[in-house]
Amino acid sequence: MQWFAAGCGCAICGSASARLLDFDLRAVEMASRTWAVLGRTEYFNMDNGGNIVNVAFVEVPDGVVVIDTGPSRRYGDALRRLIEKTVPGKPILRVYNTHHHPDHFLGNQSFDASLIAAPQKVIDNIALEGNGFTDNMYRLLGDWMRGTNAVAPGVALQADREDVGGRQFSLYYLSGHTSSDFVIRDDETGVLFAGDLAFLYRAPTTPHADIVSWRESLSVLAGIDKSLLIPGHGPSDDKDESLVQTGDYIDWLHGSLSDAVQRGLTMNEAMALPIPVRFEGLGVVRTEYERSVVHLYPALEDALFPVIELDQ
Amino acid sequence: MTSVSRIAVVFCMMLFSTGLLARQLPEDPLDSVMWEAMAERFMPEGDIVFDDRVRVMAPLSAENQFHVPITVDATALDDVVEIVAMADLNPIPLVMSLRPSEALAFVGFRLKLQQTSPIHVGVRTRDGVWHVGGAIVDAAGGGCTAPAAAHGNSNWMKTLGETRAFAGRDTDHSARMTLRMRHPMDTGLAAGIPAFYLNELAVRDDEGNILAEIDLYEPVSENPTLTLKPRVGPEATVLTVSSRDTEGNIFNFPRDVPAATGL
Repeated sequence: MQWFAAGCGCAICGSASARLLDFDLRAVEMASRTWAVLGRTEYFNMDNGGNIVNVAFVEVPDGVVVIDTGPSRRYGDALRRLIEKTVPGKPILRVYNTHHHPDHFLGNQSFDASLIAAPQKVIDNIALEGNGFTDNMYRLLGDWMRGTNAVAPGVALQADREDVGGRQFSLYYLSGHTSSDFVIRDDETGVLFAGDLAFLYRAPTTPHADIVSWRESLSVLAGIDKSLLIPGHGPSDDKDESLVQTGDYIDWLHGSLSDAVQRGLTMNEAMALPIPVRFEGLGVVRTEYERSVVHLYPALEDALFPVIELDQ
Repeated sequence: MTSVSRIAVVFCMMLFSTGLLARQLPEDPLDSVMWEAMAERFMPEGDIVFDDRVRVMAPLSAENQFHVPITVDATALDDVVEIVAMADLNPIPLVMSLRPSEALAFVGFRLKLQQTSPIHVGVRTRDGVWHVGGAIVDAAGGGCTAPAAAHGNSNWMKTLGETRAFAGRDTDHSARMTLRMRHPMDTGLAAGIPAFYLNELAVRDDEGNILAEIDLYEPVSENPTLTLKPRVGPEATVLTVSSRDTEGNIFNFPRDVPAATGL
């Protein structure tokens, strides 16, 4: 009796409705030999797979420089393929991480860690919170995140400029969106990679924000001579519109929540407050605002309520 | 006794023991698998009805599973004697119980969530009926089993009970008071850290009459922040808050309420 081993060369594996998880990344040339990969101005969901962030890469004489690596290994790998397709045959010489939020650095695994550079504080923040981020990202995005682990940059920077492959980059060590926000300027083209200090047509996020230092950083960025600004989220910006918009929003946020605290409102009552009409065009503003109440309220309560002498 | 009536007696006893003669529990609009258990444990007597007048404000998704804000507004109900909040799927579900004897049926607080869970709030009126509202809050895990942030700081005991408070006018017959007290609110579920939490709080008027009493339980967030609306007359007055924790530490303080002007 013949016994056929049912070798399953079947092409139908898994459910018929299984979707190929593909980001379909596009590189848009923003300046000479400078490309941005723009994410959607949304929150993480199973449809966008975490592609809500802007990353960028620059061709320099001897190779390629990359700014931020995306939210997962899958994204990082797709980014590498895109870079290779756009600038074939040139080695990646440097990867910068602008800050420790998961959508900006969880693609690091796809790159050589010894080439990834950031301020020491960004590296410390990644060491502290990286695994918590991966837990939450897996919960939100499931299989999009498969194989992703947090990898910290291998190089701690503190110089105010560096030459990479024949191109000079000016480096700025700021804070406000987080305790360490790294900004990079291509000194040849004048393009400024602002990271999440700048948002455009997308509500700024505040999980680690210090509004006062954020304001100061926005002033610094406004004073830098630039040809173009690439924000962390939103379209490219040739007139500092992202700086004005981000500043306006965080000023309103800080003022409105301070007022709510001083009236003794609960967080839920503060979440129900109206958002000014001029911010209606910011992506996911209602959701982001409600998240911000949770982020900012406790510190405001500690700052604005007086400490009471206890009767013992 | 005839055999028919003997059967009837036995049948009635069976019904009684299985609880089928007990009150009817309405179906839970939040579809909580723990609804019956919550009702039996925390609202054991009296009829239960779901009631839109019990407004439970909660986020759809917990941004921070250690600090989930909840505000209950049941002021549309008269003669509220008790407000009880529970997080059905927490390992310790009972969160707090407020007796607003001379306060509005309103309370704001924050809780820790161990996982996505329905939150039910039962509001008992003087006639003994429980009016129930609720919400489902989505959350990442571990809100109840992680150590309090205070334990990352070796001299956290120095600031135990440090209190910040706000008190202001709401109307000419009520005040709004928000108080925030430094306390780890240890659940006892984090390895090596025994339960230790602020568990009783009372607000009194300037004559010592109780306006509101709250029992707090382990799931209340670290550094409990509570908002209440005590009933007060239109003149300026002083309220006194007294509280204690499970180790018997006592924290008492006064808070001025300004006069109602131009209201």
